[in-house]
Amino acid sequence: MSKERVSRRQFLSYTLTGVGGFMAAGMLMPMVRFAVDPVLKAEAGGDFIATKQKVSELTAEPVRVDFTFKQKDAWYESEVTNTAWVYRDDKTDKIVALSPVCKHLGCTVNWNTDKEHPNQFFCPCHYGRYTKDGTNVKGTPPLAPLDEYPFKEKDGYLYLGKAKPRKGA
Amino acid sequence: MQKVGGKMKWIPQDVETYLNAKEYVDTAVIPIYSVSVGGDMKQSAAMAEFITLLTSHLERQFTGRLLLFPPFTYLKVEKTEKVLGDLQIWEENIVNSEFKHIFYITTEIEWRTHENEVDGSLIWLPSLPLEQMSDSQKMEMIDSQVKQLLILFTQKWHENG
Ligand code: FES
Repeated sequence: MSKERVSRRQFLSYTLTGVGGFMAAGMLMPMVRFAVDPVLKAEAGGDFIATKQKVSELTAEPVRVDFTFKQKDAWYESEVTNTAWVYRDDKTDKIVALSPVCKHLGCTVNWNTDKEHPNQFFCPCHYGRYTKDGTNVKGTPPLAPLDEYPFKEKDGYLYLGKAKPRKGA
Repeated sequence: MQKVGGKMKWIPQDVETYLNAKEYVDTAVIPIYSVSVGGDMKQSAAMAEFITLLTSHLERQFTGRLLLFPPFTYLKVEKTEKVLGDLQIWEENIVNSEFKHIFYITTEIEWRTHENEVDGSLIWLPSLPLEQMSDSQKMEMIDSQVKQLLILFTQKWHENG
């Protein structure tokens, strides 16, 4: 076995210690947060599902919004959590809610995580990119823009529908 | 065909998707856990639950690049050499079928001393007590760990081309 391999492993264990420490911190945090938060469960509003996101708090910076609903899968019902990237377009003042599912092969895209291409959605799997409005960047693997969620506002909270594909740019 | 919220699990449809996109899916993820019968049964089940949740969430994040294998399981009482030998056979097979990266994910501390005996990356993490948590708390916790794994995976992909 080569020396090079050993150093790679050392690197790996080093990084994992970091993961462990991070997790210890992560354990207390959510409990506090959930105790304070009024937990909004999915509630009937047509096919729209409630999120914990206040519409008034949305800014031009995309934020991750998770929402949970029940889905029947074969013979048992399970809770499914979906995610949306949501922001308020500063030009049109409209709300935009994009699906995080990469149109190439389905990995989850993140906002602004590629240092070389700031302010884009970035897919870590094969370096797919999308501009802020969800349009796929030419020359990267995805061939279509990110799907978009229809949305509603109810009692100040954001409700999301079923994500729909959009026409290619 | 439009795939909604893609998946890359050990089920026929997904394996077919994998076969059609083989050049992109270069990473195999193999959960590892032991099974104890008797006194430690409950703890053993808790570890299995943790690893299962973690790897399925991981799969969701990296659908297009990894294939989640069925878990590699063994009896806790089995001899280390035998277990290790079995895993090496798995590895050999997986490497032969064109996967460039292999990640083993486990909460079993014993594996830490054997990480040099496999070629893939052995990722060890402590099992967290999910039992007392609500679903949303579980989610939150698993999610934060997958974020850390994301960094690790990205680095590995970069390193090995
Ligand atoms: S899955 Fe996103 S670029 Fe391939």
